[in-house]
Amino acid sequence: MSVSPRVPTVENDSIEDRLYTVKYDDPGDSHLDVKVPGFCAERCESYDCVSVCPADVWRAEDGGVPTIAYENCLECGSCRFACPYNNVSWEYPETGSGVSFSHG
Amino acid sequence: MTETPNYDGKFDAIVVGAGLAGSAAALSMAKRGLSPLVIERGTSPGTKNVFGGVLYTPTIRELVDLDDAPLERYVAEKRFSMLSEADETALSLRPGEWHDEPHNDSFTVLRGEFDEWFAERAVDAGATLLTETTVTGLLRENGRIVGVGTDRPDGRIRAPYVVLAEGGNSLVTERADLKERESRDHVAVAVKEVLEFPAREGVIEDRFRLTDDAGAAYNYFGEGAVGEAFGGGFLYTNDDTVSVGVAYRLSDAAASGQRPEETLNRFKSHPAVAPLVRDARTVEYSAKTIPEGGIESVPDLVHDGAVLVGDTAGLVLNNGVHLEGTNMAVESGVHAGAAIATAARQGRTDAAALSGYPSALSRSFVVENLERYAWLQEAAVADRELLFAELPRAVADAGAEYFRMDRDSKERHADRARERLLDAVGGYTGAAKLAARYRKVIA
Ligand SMILES: Cc1cc2nc3c(=O)[nH]c(=O)nc-3n(C[C@H](O)[C@H](O)[C@H](O)COP(=O)(O)OP(=O)(O)OC[C@H]3O[C@@H](n4cnc5c(N)ncnc54)[C@H](O)[C@@H]3O)c2cc1C
Ligand code: SF4
Ligand code: SF4
Repeated sequence: MSVSPRVPTVENDSIEDRLYTVKYDDPGDSHLDVKVPGFCAERCESYDCVSVCPADVWRAEDGGVPTIAYENCLECGSCRFACPYNNVSWEYPETGSGVSFSHG
Repeated sequence: MTETPNYDGKFDAIVVGAGLAGSAAALSMAKRGLSPLVIERGTSPGTKNVFGGVLYTPTIRELVDLDDAPLERYVAEKRFSMLSEADETALSLRPGEWHDEPHNDSFTVLRGEFDEWFAERAVDAGATLLTETTVTGLLRENGRIVGVGTDRPDGRIRAPYVVLAEGGNSLVTERADLKERESRDHVAVAVKEVLEFPAREGVIEDRFRLTDDAGAAYNYFGEGAVGEAFGGGFLYTNDDTVSVGVAYRLSDAAASGQRPEETLNRFKSHPAVAPLVRDARTVEYSAKTIPEGGIESVPDLVHDGAVLVGDTAGLVLNNGVHLEGTNMAVESGVHAGAAIATAARQGRTDAAALSGYPSALSRSFVVENLERYAWLQEAAVADRELLFAELPRAVADAGAEYFRMDRDSKERHADRARERLLDAVGGYTGAAKLAARYRKVIA
């Protein structure tokens, strides 16, 4: 008998494949932004927007202001609450565009 | 009041959001002879919504006939499980009566389907639904809320009452200064996958020991579920899919530096969870935030011309043992709709005329439950290291010790098990303190 049984391997999709499972209608313009780029570049050290985002929208950049791949956004709201400087500018994509879940 | 606002008179009320609270409010008003307009930003109700989850139905079934509703399974088993990195200790409840109607008013659902169905029932009752339209702000006249602005051309719509049912990410309500942005200590981030098992029929029934429409709701706590964070994992069975996810406090997510999707991967790979979710295909990945500030975070519910319902009003009970928001959303929508109907009969729109809503809510299970558990979350946060890290390990070790099979006496084993537990909680004094602190969970 084996001492430690094999834990079945769970195949987890990459974030790209995961995001591929939801429908998006590109609003054309970013519904997300930073209010004051200077806060990100000079004051912020934690980049919490990057750590909490479940869709890899926020990406830390060397220049200090994160880039925003808004097309991936799942509209969860996490970045808006998480930013310690309340520096996330967050709108809903217009007229129902953005993400659509079929199960939810 | 100096002037009567210029209502266009087409609708008696505008509901912002066709989620559970919004559709419940619309139904409640329509049944009382009013004609509400429901504005939803999604292409159809539900396309923007995500939850665990289990729909709790004691109020909704008074409003609509659930026989035709897209319910997935009734909850026949609730299972609470503590995970350390390597161990699981679980408590499973399968009361026979849950198999009988009304199945303890607990059903798994998928919101994409359910919310659309529920909104259609409001339309059947006389409500008007406008989709693909985002409310961008509130219109005011002399301080009174008299309608909404939308992102449609010429998108201003006036009505005597506005019901704010926009969920927990309450952009409109915040911008109108009717609510403050919730602190990240009181918001959880949740990620979820809907899984299917293409290999063969009957996988869900076999893995979760289910027959027919019976379903399971598994909740997980401890460091094996979400690491050091305050929160947990969940597994719910749908008809032919399983919902799996994690939800934990945003401030912890920020501090951990671990992406939510990575936390989900680790939870799914736990030795006690992996056998349940292996060989699955991800049908959908989703994410959402949960307001969990409890009663302290509930803002003023009525204003001149407006009411707040559901998650917008912070009406979610999320204390580790219960995660309930669907029942509170519907209950609040019903009472708000009734209060608006009463005020409308008097021809009044001021906050005082709507006070029937907050007073009905305080008498209901909603406020009673939120008040009752206000202390629990704080206590649990304070004892986090003990509850989520130490205890799952200690309980697993004590169990292993108690049932150890060797040539020592049972008494020795019991002694060692007790020592391990007492060690974790700080001796008899610590145990007594803990028992006193958490006795109210069941007492
Ligand atoms: C991961 C997770 C798991 C959960 N699990 C459970 C569970 O198992 N059981 C349970 O009872 N509760 C659970 N909850 C809580 C429950 O989902 C909520 O309490 C409930 O959905 C609240 O309903 P609501 O109608 O207030 O808000 P929502 O369901 O969020 O609905 C808000 C609606 O308003 C629309 N909207 C928002 N802004 C605008 C705008 N500006 N203009 C137009 N439309 C707008 C949205 O598109 C949406 O349709 C869970 C929540 C989460 C996030
Ligand atoms: S957390 Fe806020 S301040 Fe920091 S980088 Fe992100 S948006 Fe900028
Ligand atoms: S709303 Fe959610 S998914 Fe969208 S960018 Fe913010 S954290 Fe990421």
